[in-house]
Amino acid sequence: MTGVKRFLSTGETRAGLALLLPLLAFALLAPAMFPGDPMAIVGEPLLRPFQNSAFPLGTDRLGRDVLAGLAHGARTSLLVGLAAALSALCVGAVIGTIAGFGGRLLDETLMRLTEAFQTVPAFLLALAFVSVIGPSLSSVVLAIALGAWPAPARVARAEVLSIREKDYVAAARVVGKRPAQIAFIEILPNALPPVLALSSVIVASAILIEAALSFLGLGDPNRVTWGGMIAEGRTVLRSASYLSIIPGVALVITVLAIYLLGEGAAKARLAKRSYV
Amino acid sequence: MNPAMVASNGVFFVASKIVEPLAEASFDGTNGLEPRLAVSWTGSDDGLSVTFKLRDGVKWHDGKPFTSADVAFSAIEIWKPLQNLGRIVFKDLEAVETPDNLTAVFRFSRPTPFQLVRNALPALTSVVPRHIYEGTDIAANPANTAPVGTGPFRFGEHKPGEYYKLVRNEDYWHKDQPKLDEILYRVLPDRAAAANAIEADEIQLAAFSAVPLADLERISKIEGIAVVTTGYEALTYQLIVEINHRRKELADLKVRRAIAHAIDRDYVVRTIFLGHATASTGPVPRNDTQFYTGDVPSYPYDVAKANALLDEAGYRRDTNGRRFTLKLLPAPYFNETRQFGDYLRQALAEIGIDAQLVSNDAAAHQKAVYTDHEFDLAIAPPVFRGDPAISTTILARSGTPDGVPFSNQGGYVNSELDNLIDRAAVTLDEQARIALYQEFQRKVVDDLPFINVVEWNFITVSRWSVKNVSNNPRWAVSNWADTAIEP
Repeated sequence: MTGVKRFLSTGETRAGLALLLPLLAFALLAPAMFPGDPMAIVGEPLLRPFQNSAFPLGTDRLGRDVLAGLAHGARTSLLVGLAAALSALCVGAVIGTIAGFGGRLLDETLMRLTEAFQTVPAFLLALAFVSVIGPSLSSVVLAIALGAWPAPARVARAEVLSIREKDYVAAARVVGKRPAQIAFIEILPNALPPVLALSSVIVASAILIEAALSFLGLGDPNRVTWGGMIAEGRTVLRSASYLSIIPGVALVITVLAIYLLGEGAAKARLAKRSYV
Repeated sequence: MNPAMVASNGVFFVASKIVEPLAEASFDGTNGLEPRLAVSWTGSDDGLSVTFKLRDGVKWHDGKPFTSADVAFSAIEIWKPLQNLGRIVFKDLEAVETPDNLTAVFRFSRPTPFQLVRNALPALTSVVPRHIYEGTDIAANPANTAPVGTGPFRFGEHKPGEYYKLVRNEDYWHKDQPKLDEILYRVLPDRAAAANAIEADEIQLAAFSAVPLADLERISKIEGIAVVTTGYEALTYQLIVEINHRRKELADLKVRRAIAHAIDRDYVVRTIFLGHATASTGPVPRNDTQFYTGDVPSYPYDVAKANALLDEAGYRRDTNGRRFTLKLLPAPYFNETRQFGDYLRQALAEIGIDAQLVSNDAAAHQKAVYTDHEFDLAIAPPVFRGDPAISTTILARSGTPDGVPFSNQGGYVNSELDNLIDRAAVTLDEQARIALYQEFQRKVVDDLPFINVVEWNFITVSRWSVKNVSNNPRWAVSNWADTAIEP
């Protein structure tokens, strides 16, 4: 069985995909389904869900379409999650490789640095960063990546430490390849799979951090975000709870789907090992 | 926590029960005032002096007698040089003479309108004890955090983030007051929690709209809870759009008028304030009894007219339907200012102006708007303090140094308007002064240095057991000496 097949055959993967694929479609099709500004005031304020067929999920306190907000918010959430995870993984993998391959002093310095970052909770780091730089999409992505790179860095370093003793690395050395070439061409690609396994955790936590930042008013104010929708709904929690519940449920489903995919990938890896 | 130094509602809310002013605002007193530490006040015809007769038999909380020397000290050493608003009203105050213990005569070097001094009495004249402040660094005096005053309550205890406790002053000058034994101000960081706490009878009163507007309708139906919309008449907040006139588009009057036409004030009142606000006509709120005039130009909601004005000004729509992009900074102090920011962005989109929202915390917002001028449009909630000289005119007068919050920091310069403001500040005749401020209102609405949108007063939610709630126009920040709890 190939890796992909094994991955797809687990129950977790199937459940995760069943949740995530419609969501992805929803996010990708948002501009087509809801053209125009999702923040536009389009109807009566505080219409309840299923009351008016034009706004199936109702409208918020200003009269903005909740469904359109949800779709455009999905874009923001997934975009921030993926972008933050990607940058954290790249930075982490590179730093981990340098630390593992670069000799004792470099290793010590970089690992103490990652520890310094790991001791500060990722959310507080993001909070501080955004409050200083000012909220915008790119600063939020950077802020989340800032707290997320140490984990992949440590995993990458551990892998590199074991791989660098392998025979083919010694062979590369004998052929006369330069250390940088050996590190990034011979070792890094082989150290990547366990690092990538972290990606689902990072994407999921990035989405949650983005939502929390927006909830606290530190998201990009010119974009619809689920966290922002929940925060706005909170002021009318007792009289119009659907405004907080709908984006909250969307958030739960997304994070759950991504976790399930991560579990599926981990299971597939374990299954592969047991075959060997 | 020193109301003599910082005249702001946040300070008054607690400190006004401890430290009293010379007079308090009143619904039925002469000129809207009733006596506190002063029993009478008379201004001379030349505007150069005001004589206060002080109350006899008043003691400070530490037992020392209250005399005219305390008033003189507070005025000369604190109100005039240190207080945010006193700097304006008392800028020409030269000396305070104290011919006897119960008389204080304020001498001004230049004519100062008696009407202005009178209007300033409730908020600007908190008297602090000379014997505690004299010879110390006033800004660092420990009495700033644990105030000593003459009021019906003594300072009890402050636990940061939890509560302020005030206890009954047994020696209060009014014999059967105060009625309460203790006031406990609880800090409830979550506004929704305030509604729950009052429902559960954990707190008996929530002032300054601590209960969110959206919860009012539900909570007003609960047995035992009253929603009181009076008691803030002298504390009217104005929702305004501040304009940075340094932007060439906004320096164009046609563009400013187009923006004024693009705002649906009824929608703002109905949807954002849920009816608890009034559409503004100009820089003086409608509920002001002395200066307000409705005889000003008006800008009814009219998107077509706004678009026409922008076309006329030469800012045509590009292929995306946009004319130009602006930076919009809503003040983060209230939910309503933030929501109005969201609304204004959409209202401007309708007329082809792309407004980019910038959200900041309170400190960063003040710095961005009032010091760095890093904005094109900003949304502010200034307070109208009963006299244009100490409130709304500073939003239009040019020449304010950078960094003064809630002042004209938009680079607007109109020498005609400046002239008018300066003349009104030294006009002694009350009718003439009112006429000048009515002219001021017309000019501001005509030229739009800023745009007034709506004005609102806060709302108190109280248990029925609390008596004498909102019995004066500054009730939340008055001394609560007659407030009582009856089971």
